[in-house]
Amino acid sequence: MLIKKKQGLLQPYYLLEIISGLWITLRKMLFDKKVTIQFPEERRVYSDRYRGMHYIKAVNGVENCTACMLCPTVCPAECIHIEAGERSDKEKYPIKFEIDVLRCCFCGMCEEACPKDAIKLSSIYEMSQADRTVFDKGFLLDQRGNK
Amino acid sequence: MPSCTIDGIKVEFRDGDNLVEAAKRAGISVPVFCYHPGLSVVAQCRMCAVDVEKMPKIQTACSTKAVEGMVVSTKTDRVKQARESVMEFLLVNHPLDCPICDKSGECDLQDHSYDHGSAYQRSTEERRTYVDLDMGPVIKKNMNRCIHCTRCIRFGDEVANIREMVAIHRGNNVDITTVDGKALETDYAGNYADICPTGSLTLKDFRFNKRVWYLKKTPTVCEGCSRGCNMEIHEERNQIYRCLPRENMEINRYWLCDEGRFNYKYIHHPDRVLSPQVQEGNSWAKKDWFETMASWKSGFRSKDAVFLVGTDLTQEELQLILHFAKSEMGGVPVFHFGTPNLPAANGDGDSDGLLKRKSKTSNLHGAEKLGIAPFQTLPAGKTQVVVFRGGRAELPRLDRSLKVTGFGVFLQEEIGQFSAVFPGASFAEKTGTVVNFQGKEQTLVRAILPVGESKLLSEALMLWKNQSLASGAA
Repeated sequence: MLIKKKQGLLQPYYLLEIISGLWITLRKMLFDKKVTIQFPEERRVYSDRYRGMHYIKAVNGVENCTACMLCPTVCPAECIHIEAGERSDKEKYPIKFEIDVLRCCFCGMCEEACPKDAIKLSSIYEMSQADRTVFDKGFLLDQRGNK
Repeated sequence: MPSCTIDGIKVEFRDGDNLVEAAKRAGISVPVFCYHPGLSVVAQCRMCAVDVEKMPKIQTACSTKAVEGMVVSTKTDRVKQARESVMEFLLVNHPLDCPICDKSGECDLQDHSYDHGSAYQRSTEERRTYVDLDMGPVIKKNMNRCIHCTRCIRFGDEVANIREMVAIHRGNNVDITTVDGKALETDYAGNYADICPTGSLTLKDFRFNKRVWYLKKTPTVCEGCSRGCNMEIHEERNQIYRCLPRENMEINRYWLCDEGRFNYKYIHHPDRVLSPQVQEGNSWAKKDWFETMASWKSGFRSKDAVFLVGTDLTQEELQLILHFAKSEMGGVPVFHFGTPNLPAANGDGDSDGLLKRKSKTSNLHGAEKLGIAPFQTLPAGKTQVVVFRGGRAELPRLDRSLKVTGFGVFLQEEIGQFSAVFPGASFAEKTGTVVNFQGKEQTLVRAILPVGESKLLSEALMLWKNQSLASGAA
């Protein structure tokens, strides 16, 4: 059964509700602290444990990675592709090291599996780009993260 | 059968079994490094120590014969402690380079260290290192990883009949090497990598290609010769990475020759014909199956034709061709080819006293069983030849005036005189039966899908037949 409530004189025009709603907006605008920042100029500080952009650690210009394939093995998104090779100063090194970032779910298991402390996740979170979606070895080596 | 008790389980064993084999029958695995069922027993790694009742000290299971009523325990405290000590000693000088080592994932040292070793290392001394000499094209040596089990030395001595690996120096400084640092000569060098319990001897061919845990294993039969050694194809994403021997005590025991081991190479050869081709003038035109078959069919006359079948085809394929030649083509003669100068199976014999046979194809004996005659000369009046070949049979010399067509696996340089080629499946791409020299029927199992546009022979013949029905000819 439909119950009809009796309405007051002003109620049908929702005037009070509109005014109280607008007051919230006005209050937030004038008196509360802002939640947005001016992004490219201002940056948020993330926790050191944030899992953002990958990089390969290098010592004296030589990458730590020995292409042991533990990170592609553990990777649940199967986004890491490595080809191993040999060169005179390093018995085994990655000829190709690619991370398909669009597939990556940033779980950080690669970092955890790495026996050589080579693949790391930095706390850089700005990764939107116009074209490249695959991080190649050169790019990953150039990154130093912010650690 | 006599029986003994191992870990409280009553085990029946065959006379002469040692405790490792007896325990295997009970499903108990005793860790071993130097022991290999195909080699003599030296009992020098001491890893297989077990406790035998009424014996005052622990015994090595590999050198202790099982005896009726023996009570053996593999899990007592002093056995565990002995194994942990052995592992610790072995790892004192073993480099921690599992991430680099190709053996990791199938390494005995890794597995036993995980199961029986300690998680902590007490030694802080620098590890012993060696400079390695080159060991030829098959094997890559890394002496730093060696645990001196001497399996390789015994393999050369006892199985390959060539004493080329030796241990020089003594005690801690032992160096396992070839005599005078020469390259390995044996044709069975790949087995050195298989029996090595560590990554000390690894295949150069497989070096850094793939981590072993990615590989999918298909049990199949080698097509290298008429012995039909049992082997395993290791493959990932339709790419074969290596072949390893599979134990079969009646045929190849534990071994595989290098010829059979690396025979798979032609499957991924860059020059392999992977799409139907027609020779036009002096150049080859790649076309699709239907088009090629239709145009080739129009020039084919079955009364002028001869079928040549390679003895590397399976029984099923040979039977199919025989049926096709008789019922569909109206009696086209069929001959087999394979190894030059070896037309009949009674000429087949051992070629090196170990595994290799004179017949270099897998199914010569099967083809003979089906009553196919060997190819010697072309019958008079025949001008067209259709060659069916699995990939390994050596093509016979044919007169240049003949019109030759090929079905099967060919390399580009082999088809110079052909007028058309239809790509087929190699031994790893099909399932079928082959008959070895003992008359044993063994099964080839498909490990990968046919590469490129290759089709199985049954599919190709079906296409041929349907085409002919559509055009109403032959």
